[in-house]
Amino acid sequence: FLLREQLWLCDIAIVREKKKFSSSTSPCAHLRAAYNNCFNRWYSEKFVKGQWEKEECVSEWQKYRACLSEHLEDKHLSGFLEAEGLVGSINQDKLENPADIADTGASQ
Amino acid sequence: MVKAYSQEYVYKHPWDRVTSASWRKFADPENKRVLSHILEVDTLSRKLDPTGKLYTTRAITVHAPGPWFVSKIVGQDICHCVESTVVDVQSRSMQLTTRNISLQKFIEVEEKIRYDPHPDNPTGWTICQQETRIRIKPLSALASMAEKVEQKCAEKFVQNSAKGREVMERICKYLEAESSGLAL
Repeated sequence: FLLREQLWLCDIAIVREKKKFSSSTSPCAHLRAAYNNCFNRWYSEKFVKGQWEKEECVSEWQKYRACLSEHLEDKHLSGFLEAEGLVGSINQDKLENPADIADTGASQ
Repeated sequence: MVKAYSQEYVYKHPWDRVTSASWRKFADPENKRVLSHILEVDTLSRKLDPTGKLYTTRAITVHAPGPWFVSKIVGQDICHCVESTVVDVQSRSMQLTTRNISLQKFIEVEEKIRYDPHPDNPTGWTICQQETRIRIKPLSALASMAEKVEQKCAEKFVQNSAKGREVMERICKYLEAESSGLAL
């Protein structure tokens, strides 16, 4: 694992410990469901049939991702997210800002 | 010391449908009752490369109560895991690797699952191969009862795998019905 990824995962673990188990009341549940539904449709109807070039589910992913980062209350998270870019398609690197990545990369 | 357990299962459904079912396994509301040990699943990242390989990382929180002697030592009954998946649509393979990231001072568990078209019937069937490796950390407080803990873990994995397969079969049937409905 990347160190950043491990740090983020540890933070998820900490926050979930605090919340105990409230899976049905997770604040991002609706956005997660919307993203998952979009992804599942894309996967079954396009990806496995060989059509994966077009960007899909980008806005659902961005909203879900924004919610996750908001609720994880984490300092390294935003850096991690920026470095990861707004994933969801093969065109995702066009959305990244190289300057932001350079800044957050140094904080490791 | 590492204990490894392997299982193999054949789904009489094509690879496309089985891998689709795999993505839906945890989120399906009807199936959540069966897979009640899975508390939370979030997608952390997803990348698609130009050759048609889909890389996904997910955070999975599992309710893993152990026998009383484990709970006393470990002190908690939830475990956080990371699942990394690669789907290669050109070669029709899907591999998932799940590892615990919490409780690592006590135990390391790694579960690998592969879905491939079945060699005897590549267009109609899918073979699922699963391997679970369990390692109790040697200097941990669990080390003295390592065998017992490993055995309990293995029993749990076998039970959970069976539940997982039950859920997968149900989803495959649903997807099959859905696709025949659409293909008028």
